[in-house]
Amino acid sequence: MKLDVNALGTFYRMAREGAGLAAGRLTKMTGVETQVGVTKLNFMRGREINHDFEDGAEKVGVRVALSGGLDGHSVVVFDRKSALRIVEMLIAESGVEEFDEMSRSAATEVGQVMNSGFIDGWADVLETVIDVSTPTFIEGTTAEPFFGDIEGAPGDDDLALLFQSHIEAVGTEIGFSHYLFPERDSMAALLEQIRSSDGIEYDKLDGFDRMAEQGAEEVARTATTLTGIETHVEIRQLNFVSLEAIPAAVADERLVGVAFEFEGTPSGYLLFLFDEASAHQIVDAMVPMDVDEEGDGFGEMGESAIKELGNIMASGFLDGWANVLDTTIDHSPPEFIHDIGAAVVDPIIIQLGETQEFAFVFDTQVVADGREFDCEIYAIPDERDLERALNDLDVDRIEETPTTANFEDVE
Amino acid sequence: MKTYGTEPGKPEPVQVGISELVVSEGDDTLKSYGLGSCLAVALYDPDSGIGGLAHVMLPDGDAAENSDVKPGKYADTAIRALLRRMVENGASYTDVEAKIAGGSDMFEFESFGDGVGQRNVDAATAELEKLGVPVIDQDVGGKHGRTVEFTPGSGKLIVRTANGEHGVTEL
Repeated sequence: MKLDVNALGTFYRMAREGAGLAAGRLTKMTGVETQVGVTKLNFMRGREINHDFEDGAEKVGVRVALSGGLDGHSVVVFDRKSALRIVEMLIAESGVEEFDEMSRSAATEVGQVMNSGFIDGWADVLETVIDVSTPTFIEGTTAEPFFGDIEGAPGDDDLALLFQSHIEAVGTEIGFSHYLFPERDSMAALLEQIRSSDGIEYDKLDGFDRMAEQGAEEVARTATTLTGIETHVEIRQLNFVSLEAIPAAVADERLVGVAFEFEGTPSGYLLFLFDEASAHQIVDAMVPMDVDEEGDGFGEMGESAIKELGNIMASGFLDGWANVLDTTIDHSPPEFIHDIGAAVVDPIIIQLGETQEFAFVFDTQVVADGREFDCEIYAIPDERDLERALNDLDVDRIEETPTTANFEDVE
Repeated sequence: MKTYGTEPGKPEPVQVGISELVVSEGDDTLKSYGLGSCLAVALYDPDSGIGGLAHVMLPDGDAAENSDVKPGKYADTAIRALLRRMVENGASYTDVEAKIAGGSDMFEFESFGDGVGQRNVDAATAELEKLGVPVIDQDVGGKHGRTVEFTPGSGKLIVRTANGEHGVTEL
């Protein structure tokens, strides 16, 4: 299977179109105003999908199998509470707490309407007919009952192509997610049809992502070594999104972090963002004396500690890429940031926006057990360089090459 | 992601996301959150109270292929689209005034050249001048992010920054 950016862009638009149609139909059905949240085209491993899905909340889903113009599965997933509230609206009854035959069929109907909204969006853009099976109603807290038995569902280590959208009802707690798992062969055929360039081998993207996974592990190890705070990689995914969607995904608050530009094959930008509480925790852990927290809140010592940490994490992240690609990737000195999250990201998307409309974003979250340490890492390569890097990539090298960065003494 | 509060009685500001533009009138407030190098362009006609806000990402739409689909993405095309929609809604072209905010340059990366924020400010200023729309006030540049709230009826543009140093400015 070969990907290309134009084809992925078309898919992204389809997914957004579908989300709009689904939201409109939910409004028509329930009279509640709805809005579409972030739409993402993810490349995720089976284990990450399961992990991301399992937030402990009970969920309800409505699943259909697709065939014809596109083979795969489409699943609408509600939090159980959201589903019950929607059912109450539909059958005009309050206090529905269990799914009996009637509420189950009402929920299934809503899910079915949503699913067909998404699918119609795709069919419109592809100018084809997609057949939808009878819906199945699913309840559960883990990913297993929802995706587990899907033929061709990704194994723990397999990189799946997945479309995710989120829709919510304005002024209520009701929200739901939509997952579309296309079957690989069907996707490959579509890509072949839409593709307008030579494209990128899917296996190479898979390989590159495995490299990024090792880079992320390296970052967590570095953070643990330098701060003494036990950290691990919580979520990791590769997203293909429109540039405008990137700032919208960053937390709506003042963040602390470091930014780098990197140059080589590939070149691009790398951001490490902490919430303020985590940043204070890190400064406390790295600087043995009391920090003068005047002015910007971190003082010179605090700022330099965070830059130092960022610098070493950046090398850990990028050295892995460079080693496997057998090139050098240089990164700039760290730039300290303490500002609104979106404002920190927009200069980067503006710079990339001169030449590209979409971006691959390597999105990683590193957290600590039982302590405040939330670090969002965004690596956004320049599209042209990434394509070149991927074409140069020898997939066999990935398993053989050590990705560990060399530590220099930290003063 | 956009969210709306549920405080009863008080209309929530309309969010204007990156590359979007919204035209409105009266006491409605239009809000753009977290501008870094992006630029907020607020146009209004003081007599009719009709105005609009654009959250501009790039300077030059005339050179881009998709500016007809996404006029709000580029400074030049966003300003023209705002003006056109305002006039369609009853604003008088010759009375329209402008206020701009944003266009910071927070990073000194080599690849950024003279600064991506400054390019947006320059492009918007040039386009407004070409169209004869006076820039009444501005809060641009620097190394910090901004959140803006614009009320077309009063022409008031409130600029908030995250750090105490710059605080809240009313344009």
